[in-house]
Amino acid sequence: MKIDIKKIESGEASVTVRYVEKTPVINRIIDILENDGAKILGKKDGETVSIEKESILYIESVDDRVFAYTKEEVLRLDLTLAGAIETLNDIRFFRCGKSMIINVDRVERLKSLSSNRIDATMEGGEHIIISRTYASEFRKLLKGG
Amino acid sequence: MKNNKKLSLWELYLTKEIGIEFKACLYFFAILFYYCMFKLCTGSASASILHMAEMIFTAYIIGYIQVYLFNNFDEAENLGLREWVGILVCTCIYLTVAFFGKWFDGNMYVLLGFAAYLLLTYFCVFLIYRSKRRIDDRKLNEDLKLFQASHKKVSDEGK
Repeated sequence: MKIDIKKIESGEASVTVRYVEKTPVINRIIDILENDGAKILGKKDGETVSIEKESILYIESVDDRVFAYTKEEVLRLDLTLAGAIETLNDIRFFRCGKSMIINVDRVERLKSLSSNRIDATMEGGEHIIISRTYASEFRKLLKGG
Repeated sequence: MKNNKKLSLWELYLTKEIGIEFKACLYFFAILFYYCMFKLCTGSASASILHMAEMIFTAYIIGYIQVYLFNNFDEAENLGLREWVGILVCTCIYLTVAFFGKWFDGNMYVLLGFAAYLLLTYFCVFLIYRSKRRIDDRKLNEDLKLFQASHKKVSDEGK
């Protein structure tokens, strides 16, 4: 496949994909361009699958393994929790504990607990405790800080 | 993604320490009020500095016991067995210090009244903290909805 990369001085960046027939590689390129990193890859039953970032409720690290939980499924990510943070690169994903990242968009309600902790009820009904170490930062995030 | 602004150990310790000192002040003033009422009722308009020093130190030490041994019972979600044990143990400590320190001139009825007053104070503080959390819940959920609405708008515009 011929690759032509040109740097432009001004104007909007654009990508043109020219193909005779859609091959898996072409499909993958189109998928990446269309979704602009909106998907994340994980493993389920030994197979690599992709899920929409937005469908993730929370990400948890258990025994050095990182799992992404959606309403329907659990995927193992080939990332560390810090790596997941980098990959997601989205303000809506908030690290709320040593081993937990939540998708703030998928929080159904919040409950203030003693010692400045917060109980976040996710759309799936799970309760995630935001420790007081992270609670202040979480409050700032909600206020747009 | 926010992950780099969590509180340091020092800040966490300081937060807890300030909490304990706040409790010490709160209970000291509650005890001082009862003590002053006792003094006034017995025809005295002066309070002993030694008694007041005993009160503040006791309140401070009990603050530690309350936070580290009894899971901060006055800030608990509900008053269960553990919380009631904490309340009774702390009340007993106050009563012991009051008895040996002769805060109420050895008057057992006033001491019993003091025990009831302390139990009532703990219960009222528990209710105050619970109300504060209910108000905080509302505020948090309002902020959450605003956050979700504003970020949904941004992502919809991006599509």
